Amino acid sequence: MAQVARKSTKWILFIILLIVAAVIIFPILVVLMNSFKANLFISSTGAFKLPDSQSFVGLANYFNGADRINFFSAFGYSLWITIASVACILLLTSMLAWYITRVKGKVTSAIYYLLVFSMIVPFQMVMFTMSKFANMIHLDNPVGIIVLYVGFGCGMSTFMFSGFIKSIPLALEEAAMIDGATPVRTFFSVVLPMLKSTAITIAILETMWVWNDYLMPYLVIGTEYRTIPVAIQYLRGGYGSVDMGAMMAMLVLAMIPVIVFFLTCQKYIIKGVLAGAVKG
Amino acid sequence: MKKALSIMLIALIALSSVFANGASESSGKTEVYFLNFKPEIADVYTNVVEPAFEAAYPQYDLKVVTAASNQYQTTLRSELEKAAPPVIFQVNGPVGVQENVNTVAPLQDTDYYSLLADKSMALTLEGNVVGVPYAVEGYGIIYNDAIMRKYFALPDKAVSISSAEEITNFETLKAVVEDMSKHLDELGIQGVFASTSFMPGSEWRWTTHLVNPALWAEFGDLATAQAAKEFQFTASENFKNIFDLYLNNSITAKGMVGARADADSMAEFALGQVAMVQNGNWAAAQILGTAGNTVADEDIKFLPLYMGLDGEENYGICVGTENYLAFNKNASPEALEGADVFLTWLFSSDEGKAIVTNDLMFITPFSSFSADEVPDDPLARQVNIWMNKDGITSVPWVFNGIPSEQWKADFAQAMLEYINGNYTWDQVTKVAQDAWAREAELAGR
Amino acid sequence: MEKTLRKYFPLFALPALICFALSFLIPMVWGFILSFCEFTTITDATFVGFKNYVRAFTVDNYFTGAFWFTLGFTIVTVISINILAFTIAMILTKNVPGTNAFRTIFFMPNLIGGIVLGWIWQVVLNGVLAGFEQTLLSNAKYGFWGLVILMNWQNVGYMMVIYIAAIQNISSDMLEAASIDGADGKTTLFKIIIPSVMPSITICLFLTLTNGFKLYDQNLALTNGAPNHQTEMLALNIFNTFYSRTGFEGVGQAKAVMFTIIVAAIALIQLIATRSREVEN
Repeated sequence: MAQVARKSTKWILFIILLIVAAVIIFPILVVLMNSFKANLFISSTGAFKLPDSQSFVGLANYFNGADRINFFSAFGYSLWITIASVACILLLTSMLAWYITRVKGKVTSAIYYLLVFSMIVPFQMVMFTMSKFANMIHLDNPVGIIVLYVGFGCGMSTFMFSGFIKSIPLALEEAAMIDGATPVRTFFSVVLPMLKSTAITIAILETMWVWNDYLMPYLVIGTEYRTIPVAIQYLRGGYGSVDMGAMMAMLVLAMIPVIVFFLTCQKYIIKGVLAGAVKG
Repeated sequence: MKKALSIMLIALIALSSVFANGASESSGKTEVYFLNFKPEIADVYTNVVEPAFEAAYPQYDLKVVTAASNQYQTTLRSELEKAAPPVIFQVNGPVGVQENVNTVAPLQDTDYYSLLADKSMALTLEGNVVGVPYAVEGYGIIYNDAIMRKYFALPDKAVSISSAEEITNFETLKAVVEDMSKHLDELGIQGVFASTSFMPGSEWRWTTHLVNPALWAEFGDLATAQAAKEFQFTASENFKNIFDLYLNNSITAKGMVGARADADSMAEFALGQVAMVQNGNWAAAQILGTAGNTVADEDIKFLPLYMGLDGEENYGICVGTENYLAFNKNASPEALEGADVFLTWLFSSDEGKAIVTNDLMFITPFSSFSADEVPDDPLARQVNIWMNKDGITSVPWVFNGIPSEQWKADFAQAMLEYINGNYTWDQVTKVAQDAWAREAELAGR
Repeated sequence: MEKTLRKYFPLFALPALICFALSFLIPMVWGFILSFCEFTTITDATFVGFKNYVRAFTVDNYFTGAFWFTLGFTIVTVISINILAFTIAMILTKNVPGTNAFRTIFFMPNLIGGIVLGWIWQVVLNGVLAGFEQTLLSNAKYGFWGLVILMNWQNVGYMMVIYIAAIQNISSDMLEAASIDGADGKTTLFKIIIPSVMPSITICLFLTLTNGFKLYDQNLALTNGAPNHQTEMLALNIFNTFYSRTGFEGVGQAKAVMFTIIVAAIALIQLIATRSREVEN
């Protein structure tokens, strides 16, 4: 929009934006500041006071918290589960999407509608049976849970892939097949390269979901393998007490990867959000 | 690209099979899986108990998993359905047995059960022993005697008694506490009582422990409480007496109790900011472990929960247990044997007993422990003193007869509403009665 | 080509479909059946008809309470998030200095997960309330508005991005024509800008609507339903029914089915709304 505001209005708007930005950043700063204070000085009354000689504990909360919830192993599980799940989702659903888009029939369209339906159903509907069933069939480990993530991520990602595949002309694929390429070869050398931008969008959306997901890892593998959100919730220690110092430090550690990810992939993330919003 | 993908897939499948069956079976050892209830000693199990036991009995692989606070039932239920379920688990009394009727194994032939000194303490189900207690605990009002001495030395104190030990009923307690509140500065404290913690998960000191004398007054014993279809809360006023005393003489304003955890209360006590806190001997570690602890060991003492009940001069602190271990009858015979070997080792071998007294800090109910083999912490010693006082009857733990966790949750929420000024005390009483009737019916009483 | 490809079903479609069946389809059908059963383990159930559905409303009234709370919360957040997001989007499309930096900052909270968010705001809100000697647990109102603030903080940036894209797509010719015709700011806003971004408004309305209805993590970490279940939303109520009361698994499943129907109904309305819009175009 090319409408140009007058200079004075512009500065007023700028100041408004500054205030909003301050409001957005404020809670994060509060957490950061409190992560350097001893537990006792955080709860309630002292939350907004800067650390002083009495309350400042340096990095003690970080060491203590990381040790208590085993943060680095949680980080490892989160990273592995996210990367592996997203990779599998991309590969398996792009193949599925190609198949159900190119092969017309009652079965494929039934599959398509089932997948769309799964996007609507809230997790609570399946959580109980799913977590028990996952245990029965030995999917309750950091590898098995990837199967579950593929199953849950299937809906949106197949939907978006097939939306895109519908828009690409058949000619290229047919030419490849006529030249004697098998469907496998056609898919990997002709179709897959064209899906790149959609794949990035999907990867971003699925990464945001899997990385932050709490209930599924909690229910399925939470007692033995804790991802970051589950580990943080576990900081509620013995008899309901919470070590707020350690909690603050762990919140900071949990936010760092997210912020780094965001700043490096900002362009794709915003694109992904837009594409996702239009489709979803 | 294709190759890379297929390699990845194969790796995935291989990995998943490792996770699915590998770990537990490949070693040829029998796994003994113990689902621990007490988060505060989780590290002791991992760092001390596991290595020591596995060194003594290399044929066993001891696995101790600790459930997060207030998540034990949830965790237990999901773990029991798994392919490799816990062999040893905790039940918190008869209600716990009822919830696990299809899981608890008979224990009368185990060596572990034979260690129990007073066999009547065990839990039974249809003629079988199914739960054996492993730790006896006591709770009351913990006070800092140094502050109390300071108070009784005040020239303008309003009471005639001259030491905390002379407090033997609610009337005296109230007089002392309220007078102390007037002398906070002279005593160097910020409140007489530590925070009445109501942070979610921290309400148990009121919903189970504080209500216990009231339950005892109404039902007389655990068996009656367990069978009770109704709870009149006849001692409602007594409960309110002491609850109000806590709230009105607290370091924390009423509106703020929701932000306080029980750990905060213990820290306030340890730092000398308050003179009294209601808790049990398990909290010794929390006091002694607080950085900057100012309370001398010999000044940490117990008072019973006085609330104006008839004859309370002769009541001691509340002593009992909610810590029973049960075996999972669906586990393999080898694992069950291993469970018995483990617990017998822990509670009767010299090495195990040393760990129990020094690291786990249990006061045990087993004949294998002599009188001087009690944990060397001030509160455990106090529990022993109170249990053996002449003319004093310990108040038994009747709260195990509470029909469900939901009752405690409802009661806690009602108390919180009372604190926030949204409920009258009569409404709290009504919630306690109604919720009991409803939960008792659901529990099939 | 279709013929050749058809034979490749096991390779292309089956792997994803197996995952889909294992994690979604089977548990979904199973769960639906179990909502008519009494059970504590999923393999050991007895048929009880609609008993669970009745008990969902009769044993305690928390479920209906959770429904009204969720509904109120959703209405307030849908309105507040969209107004704020749209306003900020308008400002950010006026060539104000630092637009890109602002956009980045405003969007950032969106990536932080619900559990982390809930704890962050618990500290901040309890800190503010401490000035009045209150906490989030003192009054259900605090929990309600706390959740509203949290939700706005998290979602405004997301919706803002969508609105910015839509506003930038409005052709400048149309705006110029309007200003030549002497239209003032208000007329331009209501006659040109809002009608042009209507599709985005529909999208954002439904995104915020479903986000509000399905909220769980933030609710768990911020208030966990306290005080007295008064800030318990539907998803949390269902979880608590399943996992904190023995013998209530069937009731939890029945609630989950009803929850699914509500959410599906919202989605259906969205679908119809989108369809009719497409027809108009």
